[in-house]
Amino acid sequence: MDESVRNLNEGVMGWAKFYRKGWNYFAFAMHRFSGLVIVFYLYLHLFVLSHLLSGPVTYNELVKTVTFGPFDSFLVLDVLLALVIFYHGANGTRLALNEFGIGLQKNKAMFIVFEAIAMVILGVFLYYAYMFIGAS
Amino acid sequence: MENENKYGITKRPMGSISRMFQAGSGLFLIFFLGVHLYVAHIDFGHPVQFFNQVIQNLRNPWWLLFFIVFVWIITYHALNGVGNIVKDTNIGEKGRSYLNIALIVIYFATSIYGTILSIVVAGMAI
Repeated sequence: MDESVRNLNEGVMGWAKFYRKGWNYFAFAMHRFSGLVIVFYLYLHLFVLSHLLSGPVTYNELVKTVTFGPFDSFLVLDVLLALVIFYHGANGTRLALNEFGIGLQKNKAMFIVFEAIAMVILGVFLYYAYMFIGAS
Repeated sequence: MENENKYGITKRPMGSISRMFQAGSGLFLIFFLGVHLYVAHIDFGHPVQFFNQVIQNLRNPWWLLFFIVFVWIITYHALNGVGNIVKDTNIGEKGRSYLNIALIVIYFATSIYGTILSIVVAGMAI
């Protein structure tokens, strides 16, 4: 059976099987996984923003709770979310350029360069975003 | 079938247009999300925006328009992506039709709700 058809038949569970499938399969599977995480967060974000209608006290309390959590432990989730978003953005930019016929011959190099740039920007973003922790 | 390739997979003329829109909306979102992250998490000296800052931001009609367009584009990109993932799982032609209808309904429900929420919140008192 052709490999592309076999991959389709494996369904969603097939994404987790990276062995001997190469870097591009890893990039593909992680792009989909990160996309689903972002969609989940998008609706969670909309749910949190809906509490603006309840007024400043309710909204501010909720934002503090979901951002910092007990002992600031939720900040770890924020960092993971930012990591997922930056990964998805960098890989998505590569895929979009591919779609317009750019970089098709140097896909692996583009993947590495785009992800490296994204991780540097992520580091800068996290530095500036979290230097204000403790400010109110 | 007429549109099937040698693997029995149906070729879809709209597939390439859908992929183009997905790529184009994705590139827009890099810009939108970059601005959003800067404005919401860095620009004002605190890692999260509280009630007053959100309202002040949305009272500017340009920011309001920015966020409404952001909601419409990100929802399209997100739901189109979810649709592509589900369609890779052999759900059949009927399943695809139901999925498309469901995604369109969710798209308009989310986008309209996001738009109304933005406008109502922009009009709230600080």
